[in-house]
Amino acid sequence: MESEPMSVDSTALEPPPLPETGADEPKYGGHTRFELELEFVQALGNPQYLNYLASRKFLTNPAFVAYLDYLQYWTRPPYLKYLTFPTATLKMLELLQQEKFRQDIISPDLANALALEGMKTSVEWHVEG
Amino acid sequence: MDKDLDARFEKLERALGSMIDSLAKNNPSRTVAEELVAAEAELAEGLKLLERHQNNAARIQQLRQETSLLDTQIKDIASSLWTMRKELKAVPVTTHPPAHPEYRFTTAELLAYARRISRNTLPLPGVTNGVEIPTPQPPSQQQASFSQPADADDSFRQTQTPNTSFNLSFAAPAADASAVFPGSGALAPAPTALTQDTAATLPPSQAPLQEKLSAAAATAPATKAAAESKLPTHLRPAVNPLRDATFLPWPSEARIRSGALAAVQALVDAGINPKGYDPAEEERKRKRAEEEERERLRREAEEREERERRMREERERMARERERARMQSQQEAGLVPGLERRESLLAAGGGGQKPKQFTFLGADDDDDDDDAD
Repeated sequence: MESEPMSVDSTALEPPPLPETGADEPKYGGHTRFELELEFVQALGNPQYLNYLASRKFLTNPAFVAYLDYLQYWTRPPYLKYLTFPTATLKMLELLQQEKFRQDIISPDLANALALEGMKTSVEWHVEG
Repeated sequence: MDKDLDARFEKLERALGSMIDSLAKNNPSRTVAEELVAAEAELAEGLKLLERHQNNAARIQQLRQETSLLDTQIKDIASSLWTMRKELKAVPVTTHPPAHPEYRFTTAELLAYARRISRNTLPLPGVTNGVEIPTPQPPSQQQASFSQPADADDSFRQTQTPNTSFNLSFAAPAADASAVFPGSGALAPAPTALTQDTAATLPPSQAPLQEKLSAAAATAPATKAAAESKLPTHLRPAVNPLRDATFLPWPSEARIRSGALAAVQALVDAGINPKGYDPAEEERKRKRAEEEERERLRREAEEREERERRMREERERMARERERARMQSQQEAGLVPGLERRESLLAAGGGGQKPKQFTFLGADDDDDDDDAD
């Protein structure tokens, strides 16, 4: 799914600088970098997608790991409020910073277990009594 | 101290003097000698005292120096404190911005965010992902409420919290079946007919189903109103529009596959560099190019028409000139009958008022004649 590395050398938690003006912002396939990164960081919430990424050896690529580190700027304002799947996205982003999780998620069993757990919790969390 | 010592010296001197006197008179006296010894001892004691006194004085001196030193130190410290305080007070106060920028938000924004994410954090009513949800109402009570639709509404209002009522309201969709699918009431009697007609012909493997159907048929007449609006248990899921629906708290695979990233990947697969390539923009460009092409064709057609018109006019003009030249040459040659013939022709056509038209026709004819020549 990757086109080209956008920027991986930025420090963690530091959001990218705002583009100068909207007109000059480069677009990728008609989408801004904001749109693409927002979509990607939320797709990371899907355990099956993570399993797919792991099976394609993305999660062992140092550049990709640095990119995951960089994506942590979504955990802070002003970008935080654009996440529409906040729970899964934030948790997965946190887990993805761990070497062990990045290795373990290649197992389909773990992905399935995560998916089942997530579906179960999403129903149970608001049930009272 | 000095006086004390002086007194002791005097005493010693006197004792010594009286001793010397007694010795000079050659009459040494024992008491004088003893006095001398005592005076000497006293002096020695006084000297010791003096020594101690001087030691003490020196010590006092030393302590004084020390205290004065310490005093000056204290003064120094105090004064430096004072100057420091003054300096500190003189430093202009600068307000430092916080390490992380603060992001303030209003309640309205928070609520807007909550509304935006709610469809991704709370499943639709009735979607349970296969999780057993404990229902606060006992089943018998539910049964009672289902048979009386008016009460059913009340029971939903009575539920403690809105969240539990979400799932409760779909816990048994049969109650809503009549409301949601008005036609389903007509289906209810079907099992009864099926039971009676096909009981004998059914193979043994379908016996359990048959029993269930009979049971449903048996309960159906008991409450006639319920039978009309209630589906058998095994058919209830069929009318639940959310049957087999699952809720995912993350973007589904289909959603990822139809997203912008997938579009970018498709572009890459097609050999197009996605940077700076906008499909919508390309589409617009294509449309514009088509529009321009159409416009060009239209303009070309117009130009062609114009050209043809001009050519036609030119041809007419040339024909007229040729005609005139021919007439002139005829006149010059004195061929009057030719002119007469033309006039008679005009008269025969009855169009004497429109000589131009006839001229044109004539010219055309002549043109043809010329071509034939």
